[in-house]
Amino acid sequence: MIQVRFLSGLHLKDSASLSLFIYKQHVFVSYSVKNQTFQLLNEIELIQGLRNGDESAFKYLVDNYKDRVFNTTIGIVQNAEDAEDVAQEVFIQVYRSIHSFKGESKLSTWLYRIATTRSLDLLRSRKSKKRFGFIQRLFGDGNEPLYEIPDFNHPGVAMDRKENAAKLFKAINQLPENQKTAFTLHKLEDLSYQEVSEVMQTSIAAVESLMHRAKQNLRKMLEKESG
Amino acid sequence: MNNEQNKKVEDILSSLDGVQKAVAPDFFYTRLKARMEKGFEPVGSKSWVLRPVYAMAALVVIIVINAAVIFNGQNNTTEDTVADTDTFQSVAAEYALNDNSANLYDLNQDK
Repeated sequence: MIQVRFLSGLHLKDSASLSLFIYKQHVFVSYSVKNQTFQLLNEIELIQGLRNGDESAFKYLVDNYKDRVFNTTIGIVQNAEDAEDVAQEVFIQVYRSIHSFKGESKLSTWLYRIATTRSLDLLRSRKSKKRFGFIQRLFGDGNEPLYEIPDFNHPGVAMDRKENAAKLFKAINQLPENQKTAFTLHKLEDLSYQEVSEVMQTSIAAVESLMHRAKQNLRKMLEKESG
Repeated sequence: MNNEQNKKVEDILSSLDGVQKAVAPDFFYTRLKARMEKGFEPVGSKSWVLRPVYAMAALVVIIVINAAVIFNGQNNTTEDTVADTDTFQSVAAEYALNDNSANLYDLNQDK
């Protein structure tokens, strides 16, 4: 069966054109603006394209999800360069393991899950580097920083709130992993508790509990610091 | 905690309200493709041998092996000494080499 989906909110101006084409029972919709052609793929088509190793599908995935992935990784790792590296790893992992994606969850949920896991891996790696710093210096090249994280300034925070936000990020960094993940996804990526629970593969009640405990812990840490 | 401190904490806690989402840096896809073509290496990955956890594990193994060899060596030395004494005594008994036999070639000894 061929299913055509009509996309709402697409306004075509004089220089734009809309076209449909059919390939292997899939209807592809593309639109052209100023001689640039964009394809609007639905998730099934996108996954199929990725499984076929289609580079345009991969580019589509990156273009559409890079900001969400980056915003998640920067919230957790609290460093722009590391966040970009981790975000790249997320897409590389998706590219390589798309065949193992069963489609039981949304593609975005899977991406968020990989992004949080990879970010937490990096934090663990930082901690272990710090812990074994002296050995690192013995065996490493000696030029690596020991990850003393400076105050983090999130690029999306308003100028007048930067100082307070830096204090809050410092406290967030001390939260347990699951509280940190829930708090970041909800506060920074603006995901609902339902979406956070899907990413973390837990119940909504558990997410509510994590958020409650995260806020309590943050308050305690901040009171201790300001007291 | 006084009101001023309380307000300060509340201000910090609410500092992320209405935060704008961070966007991926320019040329993200270009850099990603370059990394994929170059060969993927996870952040912070180095040769596994050089990772601190393996270095520590190797150090512990070396120390344990050394300790085992030293303690084993000491035990064997004691056993070897006992074994050597037994062997000597049995040979001495077999060839009838008593204490006097030590003076076998003493020409000044009375016959």
